Amino acid sequence: MAFDKFIEKLQGKKEQALLLGGQHKIESQHAKGRLTARERIDRLLDPGSFTELGMLACSDMPGMEDKTPADGIIVGYGTVNGQRIGITASDFTVLAATLSRVHGKKMHDFKQLINQYSLPNVFLGDGGGGRVPDGQGSIGMTSSAMMGTRSIFHMYTNLRRAPMITAIMGNCFGVPMWQACAADFVVQVKGSTLSVSGARALQKIIAANYSDEEMGGWQIHAEHTGITDRTAEDEEDCFRIIREFLDYMPPNNRELPSKNPVPENSGRNMDKILDILPEKRTRAYNMYKIIQSIVDSGTVFDLKPLFGKTIITCLARIHGRTVGIIANQPIVNGGAMGTDALEKMTGFLCLCDSYNIPLLFLHDSPGFLVGKEAELKKVGAKVTNAMDALSQVTVPKISIIIRKSYGQGMFSMCGPSAGPDFVVAWPSAEISFLDPVVAADVAYGSLPDEEYQKLKNQMIQEAGPGPAAGRFFLQDIIDPRETRNYLMNILDIIADCEGGGVGKHLLANWPKQF
Amino acid sequence: MRIEIAAPMPGTVAEILVEAGDKVEIDDELIVIEAMKMEIPVCSTTKGTICDIRVKLKDKIETDQVLVVLE
Repeated sequence: MAFDKFIEKLQGKKEQALLLGGQHKIESQHAKGRLTARERIDRLLDPGSFTELGMLACSDMPGMEDKTPADGIIVGYGTVNGQRIGITASDFTVLAATLSRVHGKKMHDFKQLINQYSLPNVFLGDGGGGRVPDGQGSIGMTSSAMMGTRSIFHMYTNLRRAPMITAIMGNCFGVPMWQACAADFVVQVKGSTLSVSGARALQKIIAANYSDEEMGGWQIHAEHTGITDRTAEDEEDCFRIIREFLDYMPPNNRELPSKNPVPENSGRNMDKILDILPEKRTRAYNMYKIIQSIVDSGTVFDLKPLFGKTIITCLARIHGRTVGIIANQPIVNGGAMGTDALEKMTGFLCLCDSYNIPLLFLHDSPGFLVGKEAELKKVGAKVTNAMDALSQVTVPKISIIIRKSYGQGMFSMCGPSAGPDFVVAWPSAEISFLDPVVAADVAYGSLPDEEYQKLKNQMIQEAGPGPAAGRFFLQDIIDPRETRNYLMNILDIIADCEGGGVGKHLLANWPKQF
Repeated sequence: MRIEIAAPMPGTVAEILVEAGDKVEIDDELIVIEAMKMEIPVCSTTKGTICDIRVKLKDKIETDQVLVVLE
């Protein structure tokens, strides 16, 4: 046949590309306990679903054509549990997945396609950093983004048309960091690192001796920077987490998340929910126990569990429907919110609002951490930021005041007058400007003790939910044991409303890191 | 294996809910700290037996100070 030779040569080239950076490099990757890019794509996607783009791409530097299969990055379409996604995986075996023109063009063009089609975008990061000498010199540098005067923004943007997920799976620098900071959801594998510059580069630039682990190990991000949302024990766990996250999300921002089957035994602990709340109003308890009682069994998916721990931000399901829960955590700092908690909350508002997930706020906080340290961390700015974001949320908001809800904290948790569509309280709710005991001290502290005690108790009484319900600032006071039923009913009502809970996405352009 | 349960924040020991030899489950309350005008329980991170209680009532404690050791 006329083209036999051509076809044979083509097949040869493709087989060659499948060998990545060569057997030696593959073994080196495995020796670190890490999979190759192609293996990762294989494990994450449904079997046989991968359609690759750009297998024949290679470096544009003379002499490097045969040494850079796919120019160090694998991109293509696939499905995860039947959900169509776009996937991009750094190939560490090819020049440590460093960025150069063709590599960048693949990322850029593919991301544009994914955005155009509003498909979820998964990035499996490993390696990175700018490739030398490709980016050197004025031509090297100015051409490095390949496409023209505005194309570099694709590296840092997330239009929130469909969920953008970044996994950190190796020692990552540069592009993976931007992909992590721009993403809706980030998972880091233990043993991997994420930083702007790497230890080796730092040694040469500023003669510093920080290790990659010190600058960007999993704990740095999980506990201090809050750039990652979850930590995976290993690569298999990472894929499992990605699949689980995608299951809570809609396929794109115009649709609702799926309604899943309700696990058996869901809500079976509701009649014991009052046992979780201590009798003493000053005694803390673990809010996770309340959440676990209310939602469908086993459906709590925590985001940033080790960051800003005075607030819990988790996805869950109630009667099969995805909800986004923002809850105070009394057992940490008495539930007093700090700047990390505010950042975590703001990010979570953007996530749920962008992907049509109704928000559920559970209040039990005395307010914000105050004092010099808080001011130095610009708590005022963070509160303002979070309120600004909250004011632009257009997905349904449900607010339940469990216990304490004081001052600005009440507004920040979407309490009365802060825009909740549904707002109720438990009988245990305490709503006031200041903690009534503190306020009594301020207002009546100088009075004789008997009078002071009487006025103090009166303040505590007036902080109950009854008076507010009387003026219709609360829609109801509910029996705590009915909370799950209440929420199931509200979610049914939301489903019947026009659009069913699809929002206007005013937060689509909100900055991801602030 | 010995596990140390440390204070998550500074405060005062308000209640000691266990003694050496007690068997505990994950999340059981061990010590109650008074801080920020509240009583905050410190819970077990694991199933085990209490070996040693390193504090007594009214002790002032710092963040990360070991309160209880269990096995």
